Amino acid sequence: MDDREGEASRAVRISPDEVERFCDFLYRRTGLSFSESKRYFIDRRLEERIAATGSSSFQAYFSLLRADADHEIENLINCFTVNETYFYREDHQLRCMTSNLLDSIVGQKPPGSTIRIWSIPCSTGEEPYSVALWLMENWPQVDNFNIEIVGSDIDTRALKAATEGIYGDRALMRLSREIVERYFKPVAEGRHELDEGLRDSIEFTRANVIDAKDMARYRDFDLIFCRNVLIYFDDASRRQAAENLYDCLRPGGYICLGHSESMSRISPLFSVCRFPDAIVYQRPKADHG
Amino acid sequence: MPLIRGGKGSTASDVSTPAPPALDSSDVESRWAAARALAGQVEAVPELAAALRRETVPRVREAILTSLIRTGGTASAEAIVPCLRSEDAGLRAAAIEALQALPSAIVPVMAQLFSDPESDVRLLATELARNMKASDATRLLCGLIEHEQHPNVCAAAIDVLAEVGTRESLPALKKCAARFAATPFLPFAISMAIARISGGEG
Repeated sequence: MDDREGEASRAVRISPDEVERFCDFLYRRTGLSFSESKRYFIDRRLEERIAATGSSSFQAYFSLLRADADHEIENLINCFTVNETYFYREDHQLRCMTSNLLDSIVGQKPPGSTIRIWSIPCSTGEEPYSVALWLMENWPQVDNFNIEIVGSDIDTRALKAATEGIYGDRALMRLSREIVERYFKPVAEGRHELDEGLRDSIEFTRANVIDAKDMARYRDFDLIFCRNVLIYFDDASRRQAAENLYDCLRPGGYICLGHSESMSRISPLFSVCRFPDAIVYQRPKADHG
Repeated sequence: MPLIRGGKGSTASDVSTPAPPALDSSDVESRWAAARALAGQVEAVPELAAALRRETVPRVREAILTSLIRTGGTASAEAIVPCLRSEDAGLRAAAIEALQALPSAIVPVMAQLFSDPESDVRLLATELARNMKASDATRLLCGLIEHEQHPNVCAAAIDVLAEVGTRESLPALKKCAARFAATPFLPFAISMAIARISGGEG
């Protein structure tokens, strides 16, 4: 924060009533919910955004936020969430994949058949590569099936980086030393290149989750990771994305969202499945309704 | 390695449909596809509106509503409004969510909804102001609570004002509190709303 922002934030006082008002809006718009114990966390971030937008009061900032002027909702969400991507992020979902989801998926498939997994948006590739690594390391049936992993994103620069598969230390912070040594080789100080075989096994494509025509090219996935993107969309785009994703899944297929996202708040198309490690959403197996 | 890379085009399976999708088809998948395909087409609003009136499958109904939202405009909003009077609670809730996604388009129909003879419709309609511009929401809801006789409708409007109202709503809120002085929960709810809107300085 620069001096100007610091002065602005000090100048604006936010009352408890205003914080409550803000929290109601934040929850309704994004699903992000914070308890009273997080009051300091909320105040600091709210002050940051008030200062960064040059708002003269909470009321002025709240009006700007509700109108989503200059993509302020996106800026606010970034302020309240961890928007950094790294290997094995939200690994409880990866555990859920190998503990529960794949058992259900392969229950309907003969050995040797193909399981299709999609990471959208995949950003610079950490998520689809994490899925691949996790499966290789943790799923006993990994050699009994063909596993096809696709990573898609709207940002072609991110896709290029994903294809190159070179990551810094921070991206690898959640991986054990053994996994890093087995699947990466150092290419420069603090830079690591993913194993070529692994890189070549994943297909990266450009796709926009809210574009129905774009998404019509993707069908028959057993499992989709679509994390931390729907939270940024308005209601209309979220509904469109949910319907697109529904069509991309096989009946009985699953979708994993980010930890602060809930499909139930977006669309009734999917069934909620509560597993020990994660809540995921399923396209009903026999869906005539 | 068990990981395989899909060959060229493998991400796109054959998505050909046996017959062109139609909203009046007996096949659910056909109606679902037809509803989705009509998103953004202004000339299709009457067709979508007619389909919404007769559709009983929730998934297809959702797709119709999404397409009307994507198309936008007052005609789309007017196509959804009759669902607020449905006997089906699921459809009423779906209609509220859909109309909330059309905050500008519903402004012209709010006066009609706020003068509906059914208090349930007026009560549901207050929720539609939640996503509107603060100035529109404040003007419409203050207009309602100036004259509304049903305390529950006023309470619903006050709940929305507490989130989206501006300081311009304070006089109307105070008048409403005075008018319903004998209904204690309303003055209490209004005092909470005033505190939120004025930042505790009202």
